[in-house]
Amino acid sequence: ESIMSQIRPFDYSQKNAVLVPAAALGVGGLLLYWLRSGRKIKTLDMGDGWWGAGERPPKGKVDKDTSIRPFKIETSDKEIEDLHQRLDRFRFTPHVEGAAFHYGFNSTYLKKVVAYWRNQFDWRKQVEVLNKYPHFHTTIEGIDIHFIHVKPSYVPHGQAVRPLLMVHGWPGSFYEFYKIIPLLTEPAKHGLNEGGVVFEVICPSIPGYGFSEAPHQKEFDSIATARVFHKLMNRLGFKEYYLQGGDWGSRITTNMAQMLPQSVKGLHLNLVFIATEGLGRVISTMLGAYVPWLVGFSREDARRLYPFMQKNIYDVLRESGYLHIQATKPDTAGCGLNDSPVGLAAYIMEKFSTWTDKSFLHKDDGGLESKYSLDELLTNVMIYWVTSSIVSSMRYYKENFAKDPRIHNRVAVYVPTGIAAFPQEIVHVPRVWAKDVYKNIITYTYMPRGGHFAAFEEPKLLAQDIMQFVRKVEQL
Amino acid sequence: CSSLAGIMLLEVFLVLGTLLIYFLFFKKNEETLPFKDGWWGRGQKPVTKEDSSIRPFKVETAEEELSDLFRRLDQARFTEPLENSCFHYGTNSVHLRKVVSYWKNQFNWKKQVEVLNKYPQFKTKIQGIDIHFVHVKPPRLPEGQAAKPLLMVHGWPGSFYEFYKIIPLLTDPASHGLGDEHIFEVICPSIPGYGFSEAPHKKDFNSVSAASVFYELMLRLGFNEFYTQGGDCGWLICTNLAQIAPSHVKGLHLNMVLVSKLGLSHLLSVLLGRYFPGLFGFQDEDVRRMFPFLKKWLYRILSEFGYAHIQTTKPDTVGCGLNDSPVGLAAYILEKFSSWTDMEFQNLEDGGLERKFSLDDLLTNIMIYWVSGCIVSSMRFYKENLQKGIGTQKHEKLTVQVPTGIAAFPNEILHIPQAWAKKKYTNIISFHFMPRGGHFAAFEEPELLAKDILQFVDKVEKEQLWKKK
Repeated sequence: ESIMSQIRPFDYSQKNAVLVPAAALGVGGLLLYWLRSGRKIKTLDMGDGWWGAGERPPKGKVDKDTSIRPFKIETSDKEIEDLHQRLDRFRFTPHVEGAAFHYGFNSTYLKKVVAYWRNQFDWRKQVEVLNKYPHFHTTIEGIDIHFIHVKPSYVPHGQAVRPLLMVHGWPGSFYEFYKIIPLLTEPAKHGLNEGGVVFEVICPSIPGYGFSEAPHQKEFDSIATARVFHKLMNRLGFKEYYLQGGDWGSRITTNMAQMLPQSVKGLHLNLVFIATEGLGRVISTMLGAYVPWLVGFSREDARRLYPFMQKNIYDVLRESGYLHIQATKPDTAGCGLNDSPVGLAAYIMEKFSTWTDKSFLHKDDGGLESKYSLDELLTNVMIYWVTSSIVSSMRYYKENFAKDPRIHNRVAVYVPTGIAAFPQEIVHVPRVWAKDVYKNIITYTYMPRGGHFAAFEEPKLLAQDIMQFVRKVEQL
Repeated sequence: CSSLAGIMLLEVFLVLGTLLIYFLFFKKNEETLPFKDGWWGRGQKPVTKEDSSIRPFKVETAEEELSDLFRRLDQARFTEPLENSCFHYGTNSVHLRKVVSYWKNQFNWKKQVEVLNKYPQFKTKIQGIDIHFVHVKPPRLPEGQAAKPLLMVHGWPGSFYEFYKIIPLLTDPASHGLGDEHIFEVICPSIPGYGFSEAPHKKDFNSVSAASVFYELMLRLGFNEFYTQGGDCGWLICTNLAQIAPSHVKGLHLNMVLVSKLGLSHLLSVLLGRYFPGLFGFQDEDVRRMFPFLKKWLYRILSEFGYAHIQTTKPDTVGCGLNDSPVGLAAYILEKFSSWTDMEFQNLEDGGLERKFSLDDLLTNIMIYWVSGCIVSSMRFYKENLQKGIGTQKHEKLTVQVPTGIAAFPNEILHIPQAWAKKKYTNIISFHFMPRGGHFAAFEEPELLAKDILQFVDKVEKEQLWKKK
């Protein structure tokens, strides 16, 4: 209005009659847009759900039982006997000459893994290892949720303990966090206490994974998971907590931050999902190869992103076959894997090879034992095996991709966020792209080494990054 | 990974985009495809001459094989399906249990082995590996008439067994009311790495390699001129064979066609073909089968090609468990016999499996994969053909000039109109919209397919006679 009044004294030619209203509309429009977007702090709708078998009970009866029941993993002779029989009768296919890991899991190396599994791997001992942290079950939205809850054994006087929810992904499990947990609950013991941040850690199993019951209904996606995990933390008596995640855990914890930002003190991620779309993104990608500073890329960003086609298109296409089949035909893809432990191991461990370091593709043994022990890898596989959860774990892909994936990127994340960017992660997301969704990035660290399974492979590096992030948040 | 979901869609556009560039460099290319020699045996090629004898072969089974199978079926671990999911998440395990129960209690493998052995089978060593094939000659030939050799090539997850119902219609058409002008002797090989053909031990065994091996086979059997027929992988191998040896291939009959050289005209016809079909050479039936494009092409590729994606990139991983769990193998293969026969079957609790096939037939095909342990090597064929990229290989840039006949079945996964096919197949002398049937044409509609082959061969022979005059 004020602009219009300043223009009026000028000559009212025909041209002005068009230009003036147009300019006013333009400026006014921009003004409105700017005002509206400033106030556009949306949250993700919480919704509700029922995942138990059969018909949903009446509202009052859902989750009447809020008990938290201690749980211990058990095994039996029968279970081990059955496993051994299947290992013994595995039918092996020779690979082509010079295959290494280029055709998938190398069958010659697989024979060695199976021999170890059959003769040296001690599942009873590993069950004891798994049981060293306290496990629990509680029923939420009709299904049993499994989680471990580890408190520090000793807390110095006056020091606060921060609750930290850590969420795993596929094909991982709560077990991925076993090495990092002591670094977070008792940092001083491990020479890590710079700043006095101590955590009590809660690691749930995503419904359909490991010892969490699988949903019996369709459409159990990351948003439903986020809501279930909020209810879990609430039930445990926490009003505010930190979140950490990679792989699906990253998506779920992000949804949790989008859903109830007031409960999330800080969000730490070791993987960022960003939809790389939009003309602006394409242009910045093309320019970034030549003038990275112009589009906000650091030199390290450029090093990790380029050559773009190779690293982001070809590599992803080469590695995403599993995603394509799991997002469309999970029951088919998982069927044989739930029946053949060796097939299951090959399928899962292939990812622990390639997603830890892409150059492992060229190795006959997939480089697996250079970063992990067979005991660790097989324990993770056994969690899928003894719980028969491979099919339900794969359904998670279909449930999440059935809907428009961009919904997640339309709701911004305003809670303090920390990102640990590992060099061998499948896809690198520069800070400038992450800012599209994560509006409040407090720390963004280029980690010196490590890949997709950060907590499993580089627990100390990850723990340090989480702690320095939390310290910064607490100082805010 | 949601960014990876975006990449999935990008996948399809990438292929289209890359090929748009190739279109710019497209010239009508009438070169022949060079014969691809190779050595696929273990280790180094020996200096001694290869044994080229043709040895009779019979499928055999043993008690141990059966009791091992039954033990695995008995101990199968199933996962309950989600409520009301039918076949939308893949093979429904409730129905799978019923199939397994039939497999254990009623399916008679010994009897099926006798069925398999009713046609003469042979093995011969070519380029270092044993090639298995069925060779059926006509039971009777009218005076003065010669049998026409016909090479029929199967695909994945099929086998030579798919042709067992159509073979008698082609070797003895008169007994089936199909006339006796054209009588065939049929040769159905197993693609190396499938069924009873030995799997290549070296990398790079692709469709051109298979075509070269089958070309050698036909020459070794004494055929100088022959017809070829194929769908699925067979489509590609027979096409390559026609490109390698056009003077030997009298006619090429296909029940599936795909084109990989897509360009601007294709893009335009996708956008506008529904409204101006005539402009792009589309017939009404083409439009009916191709549109709405998103549903019948894009979404279909995304929802049905996960198997191709993982087999192209990690065949040894995905096949591993399937070679160890017969139930897993059955689930994987049966899913294709369901949706590729009719996409609507996904909405049925039993996947519509027994509407078009008997369980005996379906399980016999699966048993061929199981007893030969070939699932992993069968999947490698995808990698050897596709991992370098679609549209990048020499044979994709060359045309096919031999007389071609195309039988377009309505429930085929993707429909390619004649307008598109003729850019590659420059000598299409018959193109028919079949009234019913899907991807496994020979298995599902042997009579329809046989009739189309016969009318095609009839046209070819008459044209040749006319040319001679």
